[in-house]
Amino acid sequence: MDMENTNLFEFAEFDELESEHIAAPRYSYWKSVWRTFFKNKFTVGVAVLLLCIIIFAMIQPMLSGYSPIKTPNINNSHLKFLKPSLEHIFGTDHVGNEVFDAVWAGARNSIIVSFICTAINMLVGIPIGALWGFSKKMDRWMIEVYNIISNVPFLLLAMILSYVLGAGMRSLIITMTCTEWIFVAYFIRTQVMIIRDREYNLASKCLGTGTWTMIVKNILPYLISVIMTYISREVPSLISYEVFLSYMGLGLGTTNASLGQSIAMYTSYMNGYPHLFWIPVSVLAIISISLYIVGQKLADAADPRTHM
Amino acid sequence: MSNNANDREVIVSVKHVDISFDTGGKKKFKAVSDANFDIYKGETFALVGESGSGKTTLGRAIMRINPCSAGEITFEGKRISGKISKEEDRNVVRSIQMIFQDPAASLNERATIEYCVSEGLLNFHLYKDENDRIAKVDKALQDVGLLPEHKSRYPHEFSGGQRQRVGIARAMVMEPKFIVADEPISALDVSIRAQVLNLMNKLKAEKNLTYLFIAHDLSVVRFIADRIAVIHLGEIVEIADSETLFEYPLHPYTTALLSTVPMPDPLIEKSRKHKVYDPSVLDQSGDPREMREIRPGHFVHCTPKEYDEYCAKAARLEKEKGAR
Repeated sequence: MDMENTNLFEFAEFDELESEHIAAPRYSYWKSVWRTFFKNKFTVGVAVLLLCIIIFAMIQPMLSGYSPIKTPNINNSHLKFLKPSLEHIFGTDHVGNEVFDAVWAGARNSIIVSFICTAINMLVGIPIGALWGFSKKMDRWMIEVYNIISNVPFLLLAMILSYVLGAGMRSLIITMTCTEWIFVAYFIRTQVMIIRDREYNLASKCLGTGTWTMIVKNILPYLISVIMTYISREVPSLISYEVFLSYMGLGLGTTNASLGQSIAMYTSYMNGYPHLFWIPVSVLAIISISLYIVGQKLADAADPRTHM
Repeated sequence: MSNNANDREVIVSVKHVDISFDTGGKKKFKAVSDANFDIYKGETFALVGESGSGKTTLGRAIMRINPCSAGEITFEGKRISGKISKEEDRNVVRSIQMIFQDPAASLNERATIEYCVSEGLLNFHLYKDENDRIAKVDKALQDVGLLPEHKSRYPHEFSGGQRQRVGIARAMVMEPKFIVADEPISALDVSIRAQVLNLMNKLKAEKNLTYLFIAHDLSVVRFIADRIAVIHLGEIVEIADSETLFEYPLHPYTTALLSTVPMPDPLIEKSRKHKVYDPSVLDQSGDPREMREIRPGHFVHCTPKEYDEYCAKAARLEKEKGAR
């Protein structure tokens, strides 16, 4: 190159630290989760519907004071088997009670039981599962415990427990949590094993991080989305369990309202008065499906890959 | 330089180390066999070999991630392989740190840079109060050319080179004496490799560090390493000073490895012959193979018969170099 030409150029100055600067707006995990969740109008609609149903189910039974053993209109034949109308929104049943009251009182108990059971199963299952996935020593005996428990027929266990503990909310919760947690733990164990040996965990180990800190800081944040998915399946499935057990007469007992019990009670009138059967079933379906949809969408939103 | 090797302080010593993995069956897979070398304080010791040769396994054995099935590893004269006391363990974790190969995989994506860098500080409570911890994190970030404002960012917001520097800051904040760098630049873009290497050299000088540099790229190793060990199929075949190894490669595997270094000149590259390593050229007499010193500080894994050949070859090469 010509020597003269080189003089035409001069070195541009630049600030090296300036090039390290990140211009993108700050990223916040939970903010991004909510933003992604609320972006979809359908999801928001379902969430609002679900919230209304839950609030209504919690409040309405308190106002109506419905109980399946209270039958004030049993001798008034004019009030039995009425079709749904403005006055009797869901109609009346074989003892003259409002189906509307019965359904919401039942929904209330079903929702409460399933939420409590899910909370217990998760709170017990997740920490045990996380440790189980981490410790090879624990895995050796836990897997045997799992094999034994998972082979006990659930219905048999439910029957024995309801004989021993009697009917009622407490015994139902015990029935639905005493073995269910191990399935949660097993699921978490498998998930933990998948990411346990990733390089960033190795790096944490080299920095002297203990197992528990590792679980809380390195493992569980990665599992938020899958745990959310699990919960979104667990809640509706426990509602169905509760309905099923109450239908079999192993649930909340005859003194407590429950969707399962209403369905069982009204099944015998299915031919003559189908609305008695279909109304509680539809309410159950709406609650289960909207819970599932909201849970799934929350799980999707919790996955950072959807945040971009 | 190699003559006074014996006077220098040994920081890490690997003695007759075997590492094998359970394959589930009766047979165990031996990844490293009879590895022997000393790393002196203040040097950069490189471990070079093709993929699957056991170089990372050996590095991880020093980090105590992989257990040794035989032999022992010492750090500052104390055994660190196998079971050691809790106090000892804390000391070793602090003193030996690691820089990982893939900066994208080795940082916790769900934690802020502040947490990533101060993780070690938190574990050992190496700070007086919150302000001191923040100050230490800021200092560590500035040392590697990052900004304190990066603390609240997440790893995925950074470029590869920046992430690798976060990884370096995370190791440096512990004030270690010895660092195992497992192919720290092979996952990086070519344009920023030099930046990271220069940073490592700068920190080494500032903080009086010793590196074990694991690599497969010989041109990089020549640039950064003081001494080089060549490892092939779990066996260390040659150890020498960096320049010695490039000038007088003796073991046939080393010569083959050196012949694969690409030359940035198409004319030379076109006519160059690449050697292929064939283990059958080795002495098949079944005599015991061990590390033997051919020239001062230059060890080759050989049988007594090969030893004589290598000595002759070394003398011949020396003569050729002298004549030129």
